[in-house]
Amino acid sequence: MNAKPFTSGLSEHAVRITRVADRHWHALDDDLVVGRGYAEHRPDGRLFVSIDAWHDAAFDQLAEAMSAELPAPLYAVVDEADVALTARWRRAGFRIRRREWEYAIPTDPRATGLEEVLPPPGVTIVPAGQADEGMLRAVDRTVRDEVEATVGWWQSMPAEVLPRSEDDTIVDPSKYAVAAAPDRYLGLIRVVTVRRPRIGLVAVRAGEQRRGIARALLAHALGTLHRSGFATAWAEVQESNQAASALVEGIGARSVSSNLELVR
Amino acid sequence: MTRNKHGLELEGKVVECLRAAMFTVEFENGHRVLAHISGKMRQNYIKIYLEDRVLVELSPYDLTRGRIVFRYRN
Repeated sequence: MNAKPFTSGLSEHAVRITRVADRHWHALDDDLVVGRGYAEHRPDGRLFVSIDAWHDAAFDQLAEAMSAELPAPLYAVVDEADVALTARWRRAGFRIRRREWEYAIPTDPRATGLEEVLPPPGVTIVPAGQADEGMLRAVDRTVRDEVEATVGWWQSMPAEVLPRSEDDTIVDPSKYAVAAAPDRYLGLIRVVTVRRPRIGLVAVRAGEQRRGIARALLAHALGTLHRSGFATAWAEVQESNQAASALVEGIGARSVSSNLELVR
Repeated sequence: MTRNKHGLELEGKVVECLRAAMFTVEFENGHRVLAHISGKMRQNYIKIYLEDRVLVELSPYDLTRGRIVFRYRN
């Protein structure tokens, strides 16, 4: 495929960039692969790129070649703590589009202050595994549509990195607890524990917000984890979602890391 | 240990999670490297924790540095 020779002006390394497949590039130093670049479409249609390179010159030249050959906009994800990598992407013309904070949330009710929290009158919490699947899908669909119609960032959430069939966004109904009114579900929380418990979603219908439903869902989920022996749960919150940040910080969560989504 | 077009790859265990998105990985022979996570793993939000078994690609320029390219299911 395409081969483009480079003699770097940035360092002593001379590398050659080769497009080895439709979405895959190599940086070669005397036939040794010293850098690799990949491009991949997310389910929301955006094109994400990643580059692994052993030195700056290889990174810069891969970024230049990929940017020239791929349609804009291009997106990338980087751990903000990785200052060197972030600087490389910035040098390649990428800028910060959004920031996701990862929070560690204590589960102990004495630490969260959620010990006495109950759902508002007329609302009950249905534990994970006991929710009616049809009503669960209905509230999930409604909340997604409401978010897309207002702030509009649901499709670009990190959780949406997994491909799903268009009309079925509930992968495993048993992972959801819900807040239920007599006739419908008002909100939901998803907790998945693979290696450690992660709260993937807390959401309440637009017309039912500011009633304490999200806090009640969190109280239930964190209490359940605490009784199961987990001291901490984890969650990612988009920086611009101030309501979500306030909710988790208000129960003692502390930010432990952040991911940057970059765009060029 | 395998050597392929990508260089040397070794299986190891994460023994330290450091700041700046770095990890210390120890191989069976006791050799330790300072490793970061690959871009593809980062892009797919794959997390690395203490004691995870991982595949590390060693730097051809510095055998004390590596890149975690795969996390095994424990």
